[in-house]
Amino acid sequence: MFYFRGCGRWVAASFTKQQFPLARLSSDSAAPRTPHFDVIVIGGGHAGTEAATAAARCGSRTLLLTHRVDTIGQMSCNPSFGGIGKGHLMREVDALDGLCSRICDQSGVHYKVLNRRKGPAVWGLRAQIDRKLYKQNMQKEILNTPLLTVQEGAVEDLILTEPEPEHTGKCRVSGVVLVDGSTVYAESVILTTGTFLRGMIVIGLEMHPAGRLGDHPSIGLAQTLEKLGFVVGRLKTGTPPRIAKDSINFSILNKQTPDNPSVPFSFTNETVWIKPEDQLPCYLTHTNPRVDEIVLKNLHLNSHVKETTRGPRYCPSIESKVLRFPNRLHQVWLEPEGMDSDLIYPQGLSVTLPAELQEKMITCIRGLEKAKVIQPGYGVQYDYLDPRQITPSLETHLVQRLFFAGQINGTTGYEEAAAQGVIAGINASLRVSRKPPFVVSRTEGYIGVLIDDLTTLGTSEPYRMFTSRVEFRLSLRPDNADIRLTLRGYKDAGCVSQQRYERACWMKSSLEEGISVLKFIEFSSSKWKNLIPEVSISTSRSLPVRALDVLKYEEVDMDSLAKAVPEPLKKYTKCRELAERLKIEATYESVLFHQLQEIKGVQQDEALQLPKDIDYLTIRDVSLSHEVREKLHFSRPQTIGAASRIPGVTPAAIINLLRFVKTTQQRQAAMNESPKTDQCLRDADRLQERQL
Amino acid sequence: TVHSPTCPHLCFLLVPALEPQFLHLQTPDPGDPVWNVRWALCTRRSSGAPAPGSGATIFALSSGQGRCGIAVIRTSGPSSGHALRILTAARDLPPARHASLRLLSDPRSGEPLDRALVLWFPGPRSFTGEDCVEFHVHGGPAVVSGVLQALGSVPGLRPAEAGEFTRRAFANGKLNLTEVEGLADLIHAETEAQRRQALRQLDGELGHLCCGWAETLTKALAHVEAYIDFGEDDNLEEGVLEQADVEVRALEVALGAHLQDARRGQRLRSGAHVVVTGPPNAGKSSLRKPVSIVSPEPGTTRDVLETPVDLAGFPVLLSDTAGLREGVGPVEQEGVRRARDRLEQADLILAMLDASDLASPSSCNFLATVVASVGAQSPSDSSQRLLLVLNKSDLLSRKGPGPRPDLPPHLLLSCLTGEGLDGLLEALRKELAAVCGDPSTGSPLLTRARHQHHLQGCLDALSHYKQSKDLALAAEALRVARGHLTQLTGGGGTEEILDIIFRDFCVGK
Repeated sequence: MFYFRGCGRWVAASFTKQQFPLARLSSDSAAPRTPHFDVIVIGGGHAGTEAATAAARCGSRTLLLTHRVDTIGQMSCNPSFGGIGKGHLMREVDALDGLCSRICDQSGVHYKVLNRRKGPAVWGLRAQIDRKLYKQNMQKEILNTPLLTVQEGAVEDLILTEPEPEHTGKCRVSGVVLVDGSTVYAESVILTTGTFLRGMIVIGLEMHPAGRLGDHPSIGLAQTLEKLGFVVGRLKTGTPPRIAKDSINFSILNKQTPDNPSVPFSFTNETVWIKPEDQLPCYLTHTNPRVDEIVLKNLHLNSHVKETTRGPRYCPSIESKVLRFPNRLHQVWLEPEGMDSDLIYPQGLSVTLPAELQEKMITCIRGLEKAKVIQPGYGVQYDYLDPRQITPSLETHLVQRLFFAGQINGTTGYEEAAAQGVIAGINASLRVSRKPPFVVSRTEGYIGVLIDDLTTLGTSEPYRMFTSRVEFRLSLRPDNADIRLTLRGYKDAGCVSQQRYERACWMKSSLEEGISVLKFIEFSSSKWKNLIPEVSISTSRSLPVRALDVLKYEEVDMDSLAKAVPEPLKKYTKCRELAERLKIEATYESVLFHQLQEIKGVQQDEALQLPKDIDYLTIRDVSLSHEVREKLHFSRPQTIGAASRIPGVTPAAIINLLRFVKTTQQRQAAMNESPKTDQCLRDADRLQERQL
Repeated sequence: TVHSPTCPHLCFLLVPALEPQFLHLQTPDPGDPVWNVRWALCTRRSSGAPAPGSGATIFALSSGQGRCGIAVIRTSGPSSGHALRILTAARDLPPARHASLRLLSDPRSGEPLDRALVLWFPGPRSFTGEDCVEFHVHGGPAVVSGVLQALGSVPGLRPAEAGEFTRRAFANGKLNLTEVEGLADLIHAETEAQRRQALRQLDGELGHLCCGWAETLTKALAHVEAYIDFGEDDNLEEGVLEQADVEVRALEVALGAHLQDARRGQRLRSGAHVVVTGPPNAGKSSLRKPVSIVSPEPGTTRDVLETPVDLAGFPVLLSDTAGLREGVGPVEQEGVRRARDRLEQADLILAMLDASDLASPSSCNFLATVVASVGAQSPSDSSQRLLLVLNKSDLLSRKGPGPRPDLPPHLLLSCLTGEGLDGLLEALRKELAAVCGDPSTGSPLLTRARHQHHLQGCLDALSHYKQSKDLALAAEALRVARGHLTQLTGGGGTEEILDIIFRDFCVGK
């Protein structure tokens, strides 16, 4: 740990200040005279913190560069984590030993599982989080991560050098230049700059450059990226005003209490830090026609709504709700910002009206008649980079060893950012140690769906995770994220602790054993009816029924089954989590059998790698239409599976690609037999032609 | 969707596939009747029992639809042997690679279908490298249709997608690279032929029904999905789920009724589709004087006239269309629209022009749009064929210059004098031999089997919707049902669902 506290910049005595002009290429690979890291992460938000710690867990000496150390772990928008789909992502981040789930288990003030009655595949773990605690706990975690250094500084530019011949890309990133001109070198660089790229804050008709209220945007970096040829788009988002807690009349509002017992986010936690009875409630209120009226009358004072920057199809702000669904009462959740915070976050009231009108609008709402606005709501417009320019390992096609994660890729939400952060951190580190990338397939996790959607289809609105985006939703459940990802994370990425790995192994073998035991126990249905009278099993069937099938009934759980057949089932009820997970496995068993076949088909396509260096625009021995060539050229799919998901790529084009792959492989096999040096020379020639 | 409907099961194992990281729960529900049958058979299995976890077994008619005594139906995949035993009601498989005479019967009704030669090719020594079966049946449509439907009713079997047999052969290293050269073209042609075939079958009432059902189902699914993803945080209107339930119920009834009805027989539009087209008054209808009223006024044929005929020994469905021209009355415009639709579906286009009127705008326009667009595709690329016929050759002066030198290859004909008719018939015979001899043309029988398979699949999935208390399971049933319908109608995918959710509900934060 080399953390230098305080607001002062970290300066090492041995620095030789060297000013690099923009995008200067240095072929100098001599020993660095300036500090040298394996991985540099730019940005200390939800993607950056996960990326930095994941890289460090994988064994890389990592530097986290942020504008301000005291904003690390800042929740700049809603005071909550998780939800439907997002909770799934958090379980997967946790399965890879990421931070956010564990920190939420230490910082929440109201834990609630959504969709409790809709089936365990779509349960959404969610919690209201104490902002201050989250930040404190996150900073403590970051500062205690071995191999991780934190430094304050604004990055102005990237240091670019000659590309590595064995990879595609027109140059390679070797470090960064800070605003003060100092340089730091690294083997890989991860950009997690969120909304800071040419960020612009909008309230009413006022606009001023900022990444977040009170923080400067990154302009130099945005220019560098644009000069390199990255395709940049613009998105907008917003946040609601914050209201003084003591100015709200809660007594007339609907109260929502937390779950009892609380369900923790992390696989490693049995429980959360706070007892249910000590947790804070949320309250529900609604908008009314007077709110609509204020919004509609003042549209001329609202440049965020007028701007043509494309907003999402869903309704992110009260303005869009009123405009698209008029004459309705819209929900407003009043959420606590923390244990000792005197602020309330009105979820659903994201607004960009001028500040005085915001207060006027809010005081129309029931319970908020005397509400005081402490901080007005505001809109943010920012640059994002078309995510089709990155690979599924989140490395850019254009610049070798440069990775993007989080809002910069066009996503919205803490959880989406965290998920990308972990993957970018792991891959930046694997790249340094020359190991193959760690890619999560869409058959393995929500993380895979998120990244595959982004990298093959791109996005034109802030991308948010929904469970309906996930075709294998019944297989990719919050309960089994460890079995899907922890084992791979340990073996393929090295980002998982020994302890967590062993726990997941134990759980996997116990589940498998439990399931085979449950399949083995068979009785007639009338015997089951006698053993468990409450089960609604039909006794007309003459075939024996397995215990696993009895467990499928809603009214049966492992406890009732173990009471009926104590031997050998009793031992599976000792671990609560195991018993619950056995029940879930039984629920989905028959459907998963069919889904598994489909998953295999998809995985076969995913296993067909397309050569990374195909130049789709010029290859001659493949017959592809111009349109298909352009699409493939832009998205650069890595597998046949990904290529077939790009709209407009026809089955005939896929077959042509396959033939090309097979021919190339045969040719390469033949070439490998010729002398190695010969091969290298030829490769070098080919790359020379393509460079810059 | 992940599974591109046009590109299923690309099982090319160039790199070993990853094992799914799930618990392997592979034993199906013993309460499932289908499974019970299969299980009972498996206990006595020799080599042809289905291996859980491997790909689906596909079947198709692999002979053409010309006038032939024998039709060949092929299967490929792990359940091939199982299907053979079920259809022949035999315990054992016939000796490998030997032709044996067997009575085929429908496994559902026990009704005999045909006495046929069957061949059993256990993998890997087979065309695709998988277990394969060939049924050589008597060529009548009733027999072929009966066997295809019987196969479709065997669990684990489904009609093949375009090019699927060849792709499997490729995947298993049964084709060398030179053979593969033509594969993409073949698949393109097959896809196109199947698409045209599907368009024909979906033309009219069935098409309307399918599209309507798919729309209902997509909306119902979107609303269930909205309830799952947004039901807790955002206020959806009351009764979203109830409404979806009602719609799914109604859909189930409609589908069930349709399937019952379809078994009684649906008119098959079989044969090669030949469409006569051309600018108005080129003499298209004169080819078939007895059928339509011919007047010297342009624009006489306002609808598509369709007659099944026997042309040079091939079953042909001849469509006479309205002359293609723009900017006319609404009735004729509708005729022109139908003509264009029919052109899309044609196997062979007979493009007819007035030889004496080649310079007129309507002729030039026709040459530029219809003739050039079909002709521009390379012969291997297009499975759509075109014969250019210049009618009214009697009006050309004997000694005067011939037709324009820049015309593509064409035939001269005079419907009035009958000159050139023999030449046209000979050319037609050649083209039809090519069209009908090619199994890829897309047999309507297979298309019908495919329809039934997917409609039945949809109905089965809907019954799971009803049974599921778990909403995630219920939504899955709707997804599967919708997947079957969109195999017929096209479309599908998550974005469509999200579009409906965001259109119908005020959600998001």
